[in-house]
Amino acid sequence: MKEFSPLRSRRAVFFTWRKQVGLEAITSSRPRPRVMGWAMILLSFGVLHVETAMGQETEAYFRQNCMSCHTVGGGRLVGPDLKNVSKRKDQEWLIEFVTNPKGLIDAGDAYALAMKDAARGVIMPKIPGLDKAKAAALLELISRESVLEKSQFAGLHITDEPFDASDIARGRDIFTGSLPLENGGASCLSCHHVTDIGLFGGGKLGPDLTRVYERMLGRKNLASWLLSPATATMRPVFQAKPLTSDEIEGLVAYLEDVAKAGGAEDATPSLMLFLLGLAGAVLGLMLVDSIWSYRFRAVRRPLVGEIV
Amino acid sequence: MSSFAHYLDQLFFAVFPFVAMVIFFLVTIQRYRGRTFTFSSLSSQFLENEDHFWGMVPFHFGIIFVLIGHVVAFLLPAQILSWNASPIRLILLELTGMALALFTLVGLLAVIIRRVSSSKVRVVTSPSDWVLYLLLLVQVASGVYVALFHPWGSSWFAAAVVPWLWSLVKLSPNISYIAAMPFAVKLHIVNAFIVIAFFPFTRLVHILVLPNPYPWRKTQVVRWYGIRRTA
Repeated sequence: MKEFSPLRSRRAVFFTWRKQVGLEAITSSRPRPRVMGWAMILLSFGVLHVETAMGQETEAYFRQNCMSCHTVGGGRLVGPDLKNVSKRKDQEWLIEFVTNPKGLIDAGDAYALAMKDAARGVIMPKIPGLDKAKAAALLELISRESVLEKSQFAGLHITDEPFDASDIARGRDIFTGSLPLENGGASCLSCHHVTDIGLFGGGKLGPDLTRVYERMLGRKNLASWLLSPATATMRPVFQAKPLTSDEIEGLVAYLEDVAKAGGAEDATPSLMLFLLGLAGAVLGLMLVDSIWSYRFRAVRRPLVGEIV
Repeated sequence: MSSFAHYLDQLFFAVFPFVAMVIFFLVTIQRYRGRTFTFSSLSSQFLENEDHFWGMVPFHFGIIFVLIGHVVAFLLPAQILSWNASPIRLILLELTGMALALFTLVGLLAVIIRRVSSSKVRVVTSPSDWVLYLLLLVQVASGVYVALFHPWGSSWFAAAVVPWLWSLVKLSPNISYIAAMPFAVKLHIVNAFIVIAFFPFTRLVHILVLPNPYPWRKTQVVRWYGIRRTA
């Protein structure tokens, strides 16, 4: 039994008691190591699930990455028709070119340079996730598709006849969103400007599309491009919600019409948007000032002011 | 895209958001349990209340409605897109957003100027306050810039940014949606997660005092607990 000492404060007695009944272990131990453990587990979830595009099927991969510039048996778009491509060049060369198109052009390869000329100077971009194994799988797929009478990658058939006014009007409605996209995609206006779109214009996240018809060298390329948009931001958005062929036809009609009308591109932000926003903010300030017009301002300052 | 840029994208948009959320939850909970009475806005209204009004009121009302806009688009992207299907409605929404954003920016600038110019208020301003003001200024200014130079954000946020955010919620980040976004947009996103990570170390925790009574409570005398300051 412990001897009583008047020097031991009541506080010390309390702490001894707390230790004896095991309360200390409950109340004072912060669960730091466990917290860190949970943090590590949560963090590793984030790291482990970083998505790679590697697991996709070859066909889907071709559709998403190649079809905006190539067909198999549908004729030339920006890039060449890939039907029987393996008969034109050997496998090794093709794999090297596909995995690093600019490399062979920079190295002065005669065939690669000729292809660049045929594409009017457009160089095939380096496709993310396209390594040698993927390239070999794609070439095998192209060979299989080449012997078919009509490949699934023959591309979209778009009319050569002139579009009429109703096609153009429908295209404009699709562009602005008045006619919602069938598969739920965002309207073109969300990100793109075209010269004949009203006071505030179209979006400016993506490029101005006033002259896109000319840049894409006509209907066929533009339509194929819209079938599987290949730019970094549009690809994931429209992969999930593709445009229908009717919508593509309308958009091509509209963009062709706009380009032929000859408007100029416009990259300046809307001054009107800023000024009206500023006016709104000023109105807001006036509003809060009047709502709280009887707000407490001061006691001492006015008193001092009266005297001085 | 170079592999270094790709690496940075992975870091900022697939890893950092999780780091920020983990810090946010752990430190907020730890601070609430350990130092409950530091959950305060540390109002300095009683030190200076003239300029205070022109900073505090516009900033708070502005940021609350702007944040509600972000959250609604995050929860109901399809509804936002169908609202925006009519160009008139799109313009109406964007104009409202622009007005609120500028209202917020005016308020925030007033807040910062007051902190700098009032000697009494400057004394009670901690280094973390200054860092927070800088972060908030970057956040609001980049938001205004994006709204002005990369319209129409209400639509493309719903179409291209919300799927990325949901991929984070589902713990399988798909950064392809935003990897090619313009710099200002990326800055706005990364800085937002920096603010979230920094949140529990700042006076921002007053947002979490539930049920949050600020909008309807009566005015009250403010006292500071849990910190000691010497002038």
